[in-house]
Amino acid sequence: MKSFLKLKKNWFALLSILIAAAASWGVSLQFRQMLAREKLFPAPSLTQVLHLHDYHPALKGTHGDTKIYRFEGKEPGGKVLLLGGTHPNEPAGYMSAYLMIENVQVARGTLYIIPRANNSAFTHTDPQEGNPQFFTIRGKKGLRKFRYGSRDTNPIDQWPDPDIYLHYPSGQELAGNETRNLNRNYPGRPDGTFTEQVAYAIVKFIQSEKIDLAFDLHEASPEYPVVNAIVSSESSQDIATEAALELAFEDLHYSLEPSPYNFRGLSHREWENYTDALPILMETANPIQGRLRGKTDARLILTGWDKMYLKAAKLGVLSVPYDSSGLPLKVRVGRHIEAFQKIVEIFSRDHPDKAVRILNLPSYSELMEKGIEEFF
Amino acid sequence: MFPEWLIFVVMTLSFILAAMWVKWPIGISLIAASIIGALVAGEGFPVRHLIEGTFAYLDPILIISTAMVFMEVLRRSGALGSLSRLIIVKMHRQPFWLLFFITIFIMFPGMITGLSTATVLTTGALVAPALMHLGIPKLKVAAMIAMSAIYGMIAPPINVPAMIIGGGVDMPYIGFELPLIFATFPLAIGVNLGLGYKYVRQVDLEKILPDLEADAFEAYGWRLYSPLILVVVLLLGIRLFPQFFPNLGVPLIFMIGSLAGLFSGKKFNFWKLSHQSLQEALPVIGILMGIGMFIQIMTLTGVRGMLVIGSLSLPTFWRYLGISTMMPLFGAISAYGSASVLGVPFLLAYLGRNEIIVGSALSLISGLGDLMPPTALAGIFAAQVVGEGNYFRVLKYTIIPAIATAAWGIAMIVLANQLGKFL
Repeated sequence: MKSFLKLKKNWFALLSILIAAAASWGVSLQFRQMLAREKLFPAPSLTQVLHLHDYHPALKGTHGDTKIYRFEGKEPGGKVLLLGGTHPNEPAGYMSAYLMIENVQVARGTLYIIPRANNSAFTHTDPQEGNPQFFTIRGKKGLRKFRYGSRDTNPIDQWPDPDIYLHYPSGQELAGNETRNLNRNYPGRPDGTFTEQVAYAIVKFIQSEKIDLAFDLHEASPEYPVVNAIVSSESSQDIATEAALELAFEDLHYSLEPSPYNFRGLSHREWENYTDALPILMETANPIQGRLRGKTDARLILTGWDKMYLKAAKLGVLSVPYDSSGLPLKVRVGRHIEAFQKIVEIFSRDHPDKAVRILNLPSYSELMEKGIEEFF
Repeated sequence: MFPEWLIFVVMTLSFILAAMWVKWPIGISLIAASIIGALVAGEGFPVRHLIEGTFAYLDPILIISTAMVFMEVLRRSGALGSLSRLIIVKMHRQPFWLLFFITIFIMFPGMITGLSTATVLTTGALVAPALMHLGIPKLKVAAMIAMSAIYGMIAPPINVPAMIIGGGVDMPYIGFELPLIFATFPLAIGVNLGLGYKYVRQVDLEKILPDLEADAFEAYGWRLYSPLILVVVLLLGIRLFPQFFPNLGVPLIFMIGSLAGLFSGKKFNFWKLSHQSLQEALPVIGILMGIGMFIQIMTLTGVRGMLVIGSLSLPTFWRYLGISTMMPLFGAISAYGSASVLGVPFLLAYLGRNEIIVGSALSLISGLGDLMPPTALAGIFAAQVVGEGNYFRVLKYTIIPAIATAAWGIAMIVLANQLGKFL
């Protein structure tokens, strides 16, 4: 009897292990899908595809390596960089970059686009956030599937987190997980952590290519105070102010936020400190990032409609207007693309020798009219 | 589709039924409730979400497992008993200072690591025998250790919940030292004096000495304490001199300390000891994994959002009550989770008041989550270090300190601007 019970117990243990192994295998296939990169169809005007490893060879072959799309106009001019995907849970940032890659034409100067700045963060989603792994858009080129990722580098690439993250070189203390947040790691260092190396490569790229104007596109939850905002540093605040005024005439309202001196590691602060580029960071409001959201699914990414956020708007706890029309992806991408074009236009006006002329991008109203699908 | 409140009710009832009626372990009951919640919400059987949710606790699970081994190594090598004897012999004549220094001593690892569990299982475990030999009932000793560990986790220089709350509004972790000292030290000393002073006022050393474990220090010298010293040096070194100390991670530090224990004092079978320690940690590990799934499904189905909106919808007075109840209750899932999910919206709701004081107070209240069942990380391990199997017997002694802590936190929020002038 005793040996029978022992045998039964062992069989039960073996069965449990087999079930766990089968579930792990099945789910690992699902997780591995996230390693694949979206297929893009760059506009014919694409001049060259560079890689981040060209500026920091140690990244070659790692998940930190990422493509840099270069569009050079026939006329010489200034150099503009646009970064999307610093935080891959902020889709308007990288979707704006993708839209530009697939549609832009540059008549004067050079435009560089890094759509997946923290490529590793595209390869996973955050535990306990219940986020979808993908969302789809039926565009002109067919059904397009895009990744939804995480704010931070995949722990597969950088682990364990320290208890406290000490920013290099300032020594500023932040919660340990921020060590994997690209936008807390600038200026980075060549022998640092994985994320510090990605940040270092981006700074090195800006320095080497002598970028004049650099954008970092983000999103934030609707309750976050810095949202629908343009963040600028000392050198870029004049352009940002002028752009916000002109955009207000188009009924696109932005708050102007100065880059804090004592909050280190952010792109606008460290690009100001370590490069000659004029840094601009832009934020739109994205409900799927927020803590107040209800059901979490791919629909929320595209529509930005959520009944909990409607309740929150009535409570007056949001930083942006929010009604039953939600905050669709086309609105968020439209704001980024319109503001980007406006700032480049003002920069070119103020710096005629470094002017950049960008064509073939939709305006905000065109995107509202035709939808985002028209451009994919 | 079912409304969020109904999904929440179904999940909660499923958990209660599974845990109390079917008598499944808490971890398994949480997994069952998560699966039922997902099915009711029309999400099918979301294996990916269930597995992904557990990964939030990978690091805490490693810390708990290795800290349990480390604590047992200290006990078996004779270091625990010897230190306990030393504290009693040297300080039994000064009861106030005895409790004062013991409080600071227990809090210390929490102050430098921001982890209440590591605190309970290191300094908490070290002083527990001494406090019990001094005559303090073991349940009260467990309560003292649990509360001190929570205050240690919140006290400066490292307070992870405050960093999480600040990070949510891009507020750097600067200027929190004085508010956090104000939030924790008076409470910690007050609570421990309240729980233990009457027992240590008069100590008859001669009566206690025969009950104490023999002093292993005479046989092994400072080598006896080398695992403890090594762990403290590594934890401190990484914090204070990051340029010289590589980031080993807390689990590896505990493992290094445990291995050092093989050569520090009395001999023991390390294989058996590790096996036994992990066996003891398994129920808590199971609970953490179950909680990871539970919260992932709550977020996926919109239940989490409903709870946050519900808390923010409360009128002013009830919102204070909401903070002092919802944050600790949500902290049952995780104090860090509570700081992130509820702490950030509550801080935003109080923008305009001194944000550093409000953030410090919210972090203090979120810390109480480590007392809340089913996870109750600080509480369960404090019960374990005093040899008490039923955490609920300890919980009753933490109720008054917890209420005092919540009231202290709420007072800080109400008076944030006034306190801001002094702190």
